[in-house]
Amino acid sequence: MATTLTEHAPHADAHHHELSFVRKYIFSEDHKIIGIQFLFMSLFFLLVGGLLAAIMRWQLAYPTDPANPLPGGGLFPETMVNNGIILPEFYNSAVTMHGTIMIFFAIMPLLVGVFANYLIPLQIGAPDMAFPKLNMASFWTAFPAGLIMLAGFFVEGGHSSAGWTQYAPLSADPEWTGVYAGQQLWLISMIILGFASLMGAVNYITTVINMRAPGMTWFRIPLPTWALFITAILILLAIPVLTGALIMLLFDQTIGTTFFASATGGEPLLWQHMFWFFGHPEVYILILPGMGFVSEIIAAGSRKPIFGYAAMVLAIIAIAFIGWLVWGHHMFQSGMNPMLGMSFMVTTMIIAVPSAIKVFNWLGTMWRGDLHFHTPMLHAVTFVAMFVIGGLSGVFVASTPVDIFLHDTYFVVAHLHYVLFGGSLFAIFGAITFWYPKMFGRMMNSTLGKIHFWLTLIFFNLVFFPMHNLGIAGMMRRIYDFTQYEYLAPFQGLQMFISWSAFVLIGAQFIFAFNFLYSLFRGEKAPQNPWHANSLEWTAAPSPPPHGNFAHTPTVYRGPYEYSHPDAPGDYWPQNEPGPAAPAPEPVYAE
Amino acid sequence: MEYAEAQAGAVAGHEGGASTKAYFVVFGTLAVLTVIEVLIPTRLGFPKNVQIILLIFLALWKALLVALYYMHLRYEPKRLKWMVIAPLPLAVILVLAVLTEF
Amino acid sequence: MTTHAAALDRGGMDATEVGMGVYNMKLGMWVFLLSEVMFFTSLIGSYIILRAAHPDMFAQPGEVLNVPLTALNTFLLICSSVTMVLAFAAIERGDQAKLKAWLIGTALIGMSFLGVQVFEYIQLSGHGFVPSVEGYSAAGAPLYGTTFYTMTGFHGFHVFVGVLALWYLVIQAFRGKYTAANHGAVEITGLYWHFVDLVWIILFTIVYLI
Repeated sequence: MATTLTEHAPHADAHHHELSFVRKYIFSEDHKIIGIQFLFMSLFFLLVGGLLAAIMRWQLAYPTDPANPLPGGGLFPETMVNNGIILPEFYNSAVTMHGTIMIFFAIMPLLVGVFANYLIPLQIGAPDMAFPKLNMASFWTAFPAGLIMLAGFFVEGGHSSAGWTQYAPLSADPEWTGVYAGQQLWLISMIILGFASLMGAVNYITTVINMRAPGMTWFRIPLPTWALFITAILILLAIPVLTGALIMLLFDQTIGTTFFASATGGEPLLWQHMFWFFGHPEVYILILPGMGFVSEIIAAGSRKPIFGYAAMVLAIIAIAFIGWLVWGHHMFQSGMNPMLGMSFMVTTMIIAVPSAIKVFNWLGTMWRGDLHFHTPMLHAVTFVAMFVIGGLSGVFVASTPVDIFLHDTYFVVAHLHYVLFGGSLFAIFGAITFWYPKMFGRMMNSTLGKIHFWLTLIFFNLVFFPMHNLGIAGMMRRIYDFTQYEYLAPFQGLQMFISWSAFVLIGAQFIFAFNFLYSLFRGEKAPQNPWHANSLEWTAAPSPPPHGNFAHTPTVYRGPYEYSHPDAPGDYWPQNEPGPAAPAPEPVYAE
Repeated sequence: MEYAEAQAGAVAGHEGGASTKAYFVVFGTLAVLTVIEVLIPTRLGFPKNVQIILLIFLALWKALLVALYYMHLRYEPKRLKWMVIAPLPLAVILVLAVLTEF
Repeated sequence: MTTHAAALDRGGMDATEVGMGVYNMKLGMWVFLLSEVMFFTSLIGSYIILRAAHPDMFAQPGEVLNVPLTALNTFLLICSSVTMVLAFAAIERGDQAKLKAWLIGTALIGMSFLGVQVFEYIQLSGHGFVPSVEGYSAAGAPLYGTTFYTMTGFHGFHVFVGVLALWYLVIQAFRGKYTAANHGAVEITGLYWHFVDLVWIILFTIVYLI
């Protein structure tokens, strides 16, 4: 078993031939290229999802108001936008598709598709994934799934409008929504995307278990990789349940089965259970990787070891596993068995504990640190703050009696955007700016990055904080025209304020897009280790790393967060640097 | 028993694992158990609840035999065994929790 | 001495020393099978739940379904498991001839299983036992047909995929690709095949006998 401790032959030597353009950049088996392919794909979908949000916000600011037609409304067919008025059917599918696209085609691939692919092999010192071909297949399955999802907008009857949760019977019987082909395309696209996620997950899990460099013990793995590994386990076990449910729903739609149609014995509630059995782990799929990135960035930005590394790892594991037992908290209002509701409430409250441990540890890391507020660090710190707000509003809705009042209101919308935008998306912006130099060999522009950050932070809060109030006032979550209710009509001023803040927020994202594209060509050349970080992607590989990543498989001597260590030569101590106090590397793979 | 002897030196996996004889013993057991299973609802007059318990027990027994001997799980490293068992509680939780609803 | 590179190129069996103590392809297959467990849980679990919710909508064993025919099918699948494992045992000894023979045997038994299942479907749908609400005239209610065809159909699809993989192995075996030292593909296809058998064991009991 000691064989793995010797220096490994460089991978590059095994493949001396040059790859053609198509094999290198399009049908690539290189995990880094695949990660970058996912990056471009999901940033595009982020834009699509953002535009759908803008359409929704226009309707909410000027509900069916002929005096304020949707700008550019003439571009849409009359079945969607008529004389500048957004039609209710289109509004419903915009709501549905904003959720679907943001969750499944933007945030999830940004977190997992991009960074699991890009970071895992680099951080554990592997030349590539365990199954490079499977990895390529994963992207080339996800991409057609995205195209099918987009195709739904162009078919007769419009796109699915049953909400991203696709509750039956609304989704099961085309009679209810008037959507036929769009609904089926939605289901088919999601089934295909499930396969893509599954292939990815198998790959990430196998890679982390089997491909670590010598000395990379479990408790020397950098936290992003830990988080992505646990996320992959969640994907692996949650996605098949969704796929099963989607297949049943598709059969209900197409061949006339009756899984979810109550008139003929089906159980609509079964859909909700299966959806949320997937859906709650999905929530952690969307936040755990962000937590990993933020841990990395905060440690590097504070020049201090991460506070309680083991606690951080155990908290990730605890969140992931308790996360399987809480799915029913989405269903308190479904008329579920009260005993079951009570159990779900308790498990949900328990999950706040590991989440709080993580927050304390981030604060503990920054406490009396040598703080460097570069752009990634700003995003990371914001993640912590926004996650706390989102987490606290989560405790409100987790409590059954309170949820009776808040269920399906804008309070829930505010809550989920605080964790998904304030949490995941800030982490993603942080991660992109942090690893951009590694990916493309150039730095992103710091000034533009900071302008983007401040605009996003301010307008994000202006958009989503007032939504708590709207929710408490009883504003429904997916309503088309709230002014039809007398008690909601007075909120139109606030709605306009939210909408215009949202437009600025979306506009600010173009600064990021510009910075991203501009820096690709004109950015300052990046050094190998611009953030003076310890993990292998910075210390053992150039920017950008070549095919095969490392000239020699690195040997790991210590954990990834040895900043400002008294024995270290500098204020950081690369994982692969043999040092005076370094203990002999333990054999990782021994029984 | 044939099975037990075969376990020696099994760390690396199948090498020195199950023998051909063990495969046939398992095959015979599976066939006999299947016959018993088919007889339970048709020939043997147990009450329905007893039938269900017996049938589930037999099915799990057969499944376990397949996993341990044909899939060589018995001869795999302990870590792999744990990994394989890990998702089973989730499956049970899903079904049982939703069952309480109906 | 193994390199990651070598392990990558072939998903090779020479990487047995790393991590989990099994080579990448095998670990990957096990990880994949875990997700399959959850997939079949969603299908079989739905059946259990729907049946518990509406006991009157399902028929008793033997009332609609042909138990003796399916018992034969179960036996076929068990036979194919033993031939598969014998193929694996053969190549472990480096016995090419027996590998080919047992692989072909396994594939043929797998195809017979599918044939019997298709025959069963035709027979059942002739008696008005169909997956859809429309046209259902057997005992129980459409929910029975709905769940039955979805579960057994997806299992049959898995068998179909397995048969394709087996014929691929047969072709590769005739090309002499597998040796005593390198037969990871045979082993992981075997894992998949036995898993499909295992699912059938559960399915047979729950759907046909309970």
